[in-house]
Amino acid sequence: MSKIEKNLREVKKLNELQMRDGILNGLHPVVKLVTTILYILALVSFPKYQVVPCFVMCIYLILLFNLGDLSIWDGIRRMKLILPLVCVVGIFNPFFDHTEITRVGIVITGGMVSMITLMLKGIYAVLASYILIATTSIEDICYALRWFHMPKILVTVILLIDRYFYILGEEAGRIMAAYKLRAPKQNGIHYKAWGPLVGQWLLRSMDRAEVVYESMSLRGFRGEFTYAGRKSFRWVDIAYLVFWCAVFYLLRYTAVLEMLGQMFI
Amino acid sequence: MKTETLKECINIEHLGFSYDTEEPVLRDVNLYAVKGESIGLIGANGIGKSTLLKLLVGLDLNYSGKLEIVTHPMVKENVNHIREHIGYVFQDSDSQLFMTTVEEDVAFGPLNYGLDKEEVEKRVKYALSKVHLLELRKKQIYKMSGGEKKLASIATILAMHPDIILMDEPSVALDPKNRRVLINILNEMPQMKLIASHDLDFIMDTCERTVLMDDGTIIFDGPTEKIMHDREMLERHGLELPLRFQR
Repeated sequence: MSKIEKNLREVKKLNELQMRDGILNGLHPVVKLVTTILYILALVSFPKYQVVPCFVMCIYLILLFNLGDLSIWDGIRRMKLILPLVCVVGIFNPFFDHTEITRVGIVITGGMVSMITLMLKGIYAVLASYILIATTSIEDICYALRWFHMPKILVTVILLIDRYFYILGEEAGRIMAAYKLRAPKQNGIHYKAWGPLVGQWLLRSMDRAEVVYESMSLRGFRGEFTYAGRKSFRWVDIAYLVFWCAVFYLLRYTAVLEMLGQMFI
Repeated sequence: MKTETLKECINIEHLGFSYDTEEPVLRDVNLYAVKGESIGLIGANGIGKSTLLKLLVGLDLNYSGKLEIVTHPMVKENVNHIREHIGYVFQDSDSQLFMTTVEEDVAFGPLNYGLDKEEVEKRVKYALSKVHLLELRKKQIYKMSGGEKKLASIATILAMHPDIILMDEPSVALDPKNRRVLINILNEMPQMKLIASHDLDFIMDTCERTVLMDDGTIIFDGPTEKIMHDREMLERHGLELPLRFQR
């Protein structure tokens, strides 16, 4: 199986996750989007030296990975392209920030602490986004964006890019398969064939995209996707949002860990 | 939404069309079709069948002559209204189906025409039951077989309650069972149908009238039975007798 096919299968698997009948999948998309945004906002608002309170924010991820019946390893694997980038963000902090901080009797530099905090923030934010996209279809996410009055042109572009992405992937898969069948001994694509293949790939995908667009316009598409028939808010949705707002508030503005520690020590 | 219940569906007089090249793709095409008719459009490759179908749904408006759909001239101002009357089933179902699930795709048209939730649901059920796919309504498109995709494509059109259905090579890539299912479905559909195909046996099973095209114009327009037995005419225009008549 080629890399393209593997990647397409991954996208399709993600689609399958979105289509399941799980608890998280059944929640209103607006509620899921708001919760994710609030989580990320709460996360990024932690001061740079508050590594432990920031670490505790993993409660949200652990609960949601369980509630959504999602595999955390699959999440990390699917986000493997982005995760190294978010880890790199704070990598230079130890070189510039030499403030001495004592943690559990050990003296370390502020740069190290802030680097860990930044890494945690990045990884958590990416995983929270993964939970959202693994339990919510792109149509539902766009519906939620429109609910917040995001310009329709932007939302339509997101949806069209999503569809064009599939077409690009499928055409690339077909071209690669045809090439490999006629060049079985070659590893990869010969550089002389790059130009024609990429040209064909773009032309074919544009042709197909045009037919898709024609099909859409023949069925009344006038530049905006219609989202009628979406479900209305239920009490579970409201309860879910209120619960997480309370949890984020507690984790962010109260010393929950300290309080818990004092209860047991 | 549409309100007309007129008999006239298609009225084409002296239709001409060419792309950027000087050579015309369609020349002096005349065709008149009324409600309930089922017409086969046959001809060799590249003689303008698909182009004619595209003109009928207003995908290109640079034609000459007269082109009316349910009495409305095919001009820019009327295109949206005309498209409420006409459904086009593309040759490639993969390009026609672009939503995630079958029901989302079938609901796409009715939603765009501003129908309410209940009406959309009613139409989705109606369309999917017509093509026997009701139990697959939640199925993801990419998991469907070629035959199922073709039937789902037809359902997307039926949900819009069109008066006219245009089909481009509907029997391509269908196995015999799905082909038979499609024939039965088409024969049950009361709409006016114009079916472009090379599959002459399929045309014989679905259309009582056939139009033969060659070199961008109509060569024959008459009963299907008559043209399908005319070996000489078929061969002269790049076709062969239907398989059932070949030895």
